[in-house]
Amino acid sequence: MTEFLQSTVYGLLQGGLLALVAVGFSLVWGVMNVVNLAHGTFVVLGSYVAWQLNKSAGVDPFLGMFAAAACLFVAGYAVHMLLINQVIKAPIWMTLLLTFGLELVLINAMVLLFSGDFRSINTGWAGDAIALGDVRIPYGRLAGFLVAVGLTLALVAFMSRTRLGLAIKATGMDRDAARLMGIRARRVYATTFAIAAAMAGAAGAIVGTVGTFSPASAPAFTLQSFVIAVLGGLGNMWGALAGGLVLGLVQSWGGQYLSGTLVTAVAFGVLVAVLIVRPAGLLGKPYYEARVET
Amino acid sequence: MATDPQAGKPASAEGPGGARRLGFLSGRAGWVAAAVALLFFIALPVQLYGSQQRTLAAAFMFVALAQGWNLIGGFAGYPSFGNVVFFGLGGYTTAILMAKAGASFYVALPAAALVGLGFAALMGVPVLRLRGHYFAIATLGVAEGMREVVLNLDGLTGGGSGLTVPAVGSEATTSYPGNAGFYYMFLALAVLATAVVLWVSRSRFGYGLRAINQDEDAAAAMGIDTTRAKIGAFALAGVITSLAGAMYAFQQITIYPVRLFDVQFTLLMVVMAVIGGSGTVVGPVLGALGLLFLSEYLRDNLTDYHTIVFGVIIVVAVILLPQGLVRFVRDGWRTRRFSLLDNVRAYRL
Amino acid sequence: MSAPALETRGLSRRFGGLEALSDVSLSVEPGTVLGIIGPNGAGKSTLINLVTGHLKPSSGSVCVDGREVTGQRPWVIARAGVARTFQIVKPFRELTVRDNVAIGAMYGPDRAGSVKDAQRRADEVLERVGLAGRGEVPPGELGVADARRLELAKALALGPRLLLLDEVMAGLRGSEIEPALELIRSLRDEGMTIVAVEHIVKVILSVSDEVLVLHEGRELTHGKPAEVVKDERVIEAYLGQRYAKRMAGGNGDA
Repeated sequence: MTEFLQSTVYGLLQGGLLALVAVGFSLVWGVMNVVNLAHGTFVVLGSYVAWQLNKSAGVDPFLGMFAAAACLFVAGYAVHMLLINQVIKAPIWMTLLLTFGLELVLINAMVLLFSGDFRSINTGWAGDAIALGDVRIPYGRLAGFLVAVGLTLALVAFMSRTRLGLAIKATGMDRDAARLMGIRARRVYATTFAIAAAMAGAAGAIVGTVGTFSPASAPAFTLQSFVIAVLGGLGNMWGALAGGLVLGLVQSWGGQYLSGTLVTAVAFGVLVAVLIVRPAGLLGKPYYEARVET
Repeated sequence: MATDPQAGKPASAEGPGGARRLGFLSGRAGWVAAAVALLFFIALPVQLYGSQQRTLAAAFMFVALAQGWNLIGGFAGYPSFGNVVFFGLGGYTTAILMAKAGASFYVALPAAALVGLGFAALMGVPVLRLRGHYFAIATLGVAEGMREVVLNLDGLTGGGSGLTVPAVGSEATTSYPGNAGFYYMFLALAVLATAVVLWVSRSRFGYGLRAINQDEDAAAAMGIDTTRAKIGAFALAGVITSLAGAMYAFQQITIYPVRLFDVQFTLLMVVMAVIGGSGTVVGPVLGALGLLFLSEYLRDNLTDYHTIVFGVIIVVAVILLPQGLVRFVRDGWRTRRFSLLDNVRAYRL
Repeated sequence: MSAPALETRGLSRRFGGLEALSDVSLSVEPGTVLGIIGPNGAGKSTLINLVTGHLKPSSGSVCVDGREVTGQRPWVIARAGVARTFQIVKPFRELTVRDNVAIGAMYGPDRAGSVKDAQRRADEVLERVGLAGRGEVPPGELGVADARRLELAKALALGPRLLLLDEVMAGLRGSEIEPALELIRSLRDEGMTIVAVEHIVKVILSVSDEVLVLHEGRELTHGKPAEVVKDERVIEAYLGQRYAKRMAGGNGDA
């Protein structure tokens, strides 16, 4: 029973972090209909930024997270304006191919710069834990969970209460109508992409604290983001939170009872089943289903 | 248009006006060029080292893979990102039959084709109901999941330690063809795959696929059984891809799940088909040959950076040539205007 | 007595909480034209989509030539002799005009033997609708009237016995409407059954044998065109009092 509780707790804590990893991916897909296969590399880049700051200047990763987010924001904006924007009106697999090429470049650049070794960010305090009965809750994971959920909620608030957030939603629903209303769609898209990258970068910093990472971890983050986006509904931030928690739990429980690699197969099985049975995701019609395609 | 005597082999898959106004590739000129190319490739191996024969064999394999993708992704418009699942299933069927049942390769080969056909039909029924990104990722999910399944069924497949086909000595069920042998085998597969795509492009079936691609609802309203057509295209792709996998497994002798189900195969076949020209007959041939030679060249000359450079080339090619090389040349020939910038302007915001 | 060309019984379709179509029963005699009018959102396109199989009914049944086709896939119904046009035209943008129409000849109930035969038949249909000589053109280059002709040609290529037209006159200029009406009349005279959804009341009046009025998903009334137009409820819901006055005062030009 303790094992079950422990793996449930781990699943939830990890799930909150996965939600932050995925929320930007879901947002970009929902607003711009772009599936960014390089999303996982943004996460890992964030990990490296935080790791480097920690190594060179002893910065705690939870502070380094802000630097990671800032760097990735700028990088994301540039990537969108220079690359993705060029094919945004082309058939969908163009962006898939483009982001795939980008993923190749980024992963190999990271290998060249940082080597392919697994790394993690050591803090003095992350390993300590509080204990609830027999269940151990490590501080690092707990902090990671709280920050991740906090950032996701902040994003939800941003989207519904600020002008930019509303502009993003409007552009997501009907790009041409938004432009007619004076919204600069290209900038809105670039900003959305940049926000997504920033969230991923922040998640990466936290990931580095609670576990290990290497350039090779990038594709797994992309795939997990995909599952979460589909589970929660595209562009639906609450859905990303819910989807993250669900995936975290499934992987944690699965890891208890199935061999490690089969867990991925199970996750995919769940994804395929959900896609077939309820393509709108677990939380119902995604926000941007009503989108008017050009 | 397709039956216009002026229309050559490549023209039939093309859009309006493509046939009549083509210059160099139409009619008999196209067939002659193809025959010459084929004779060239048949005569070539005696001039080549073993390693060069292997490189060309790989190029031909990718021609077949790209053509297989072309049927489901290019013609029908359903971009599968999981075709490698057929590659792996074909390879493992062959390896298992040869290693565990002592079968000859030439018996395992049709078995692999059947497995590809069957799995495509099975998987197609649920998955072809999805469209666009959802279909792409569902197929990716199936491929990734199958890799894990094969990895875990280690009693049958050898799991992570790999599976070895008896290829030499007294245990060999079939004599090993060697570099030249595999060269011809893969060449034959490439020719077969291209011939299939050519046939599809001129047939009623091909028109149906293109209609589905361009407007599935209208296609259904005009009497096209879209389910059957899509599954048919997917099954053809499955057969071609699994045959490639079968040959690959025999060639490699020892196979591993991470290799036979490597997502890199999928991505390469998609890139080759799209950059060459998806929905055309010649496009995937050019894309596969071109990109494979490019990749080999980069690997030999820029070893450390070759993947990065390859990635950059993909990014640039996608931006500048979204419709693929063949269509770009055709449209340019027709309008006498070759402009890469026009492409960018067409698709950017 | 032969079966009605089209018959629906209690046909309904719900979308979540919205009843797009509610308990519609109609019957169309072969070789006649049924006009369907009603305000936007009345369920006219939904009705067509239900008959052609693009939507599954929530309840009720559809019979074509006495055969039950409720809930069948669109291509099954197309092969049963039912063809339709779409309100927003849906051409195959990368095929020529001729190939657009040839698809119908290739896949319809009376399948052409080969691609070439299908294209020959397509040329005949193009001639019929007034697009002769434009076979090689891409659909994107057609004007509004020609685009509608193409949409009609695609439907006719199926060789249907029942033709469903969804606002086929929308956007046409006055001079383009009369030839279109002529075409519909000649099709009817050849024995085709036609169901036409329209907003242009003059069209409905001049070509329909019977008219069905839909309002908020339900049937408001049906009957001979001249009677329906004078019905108070129809005037209230759709035509408007000014129209009624004009009809009463003048000679009925909408």
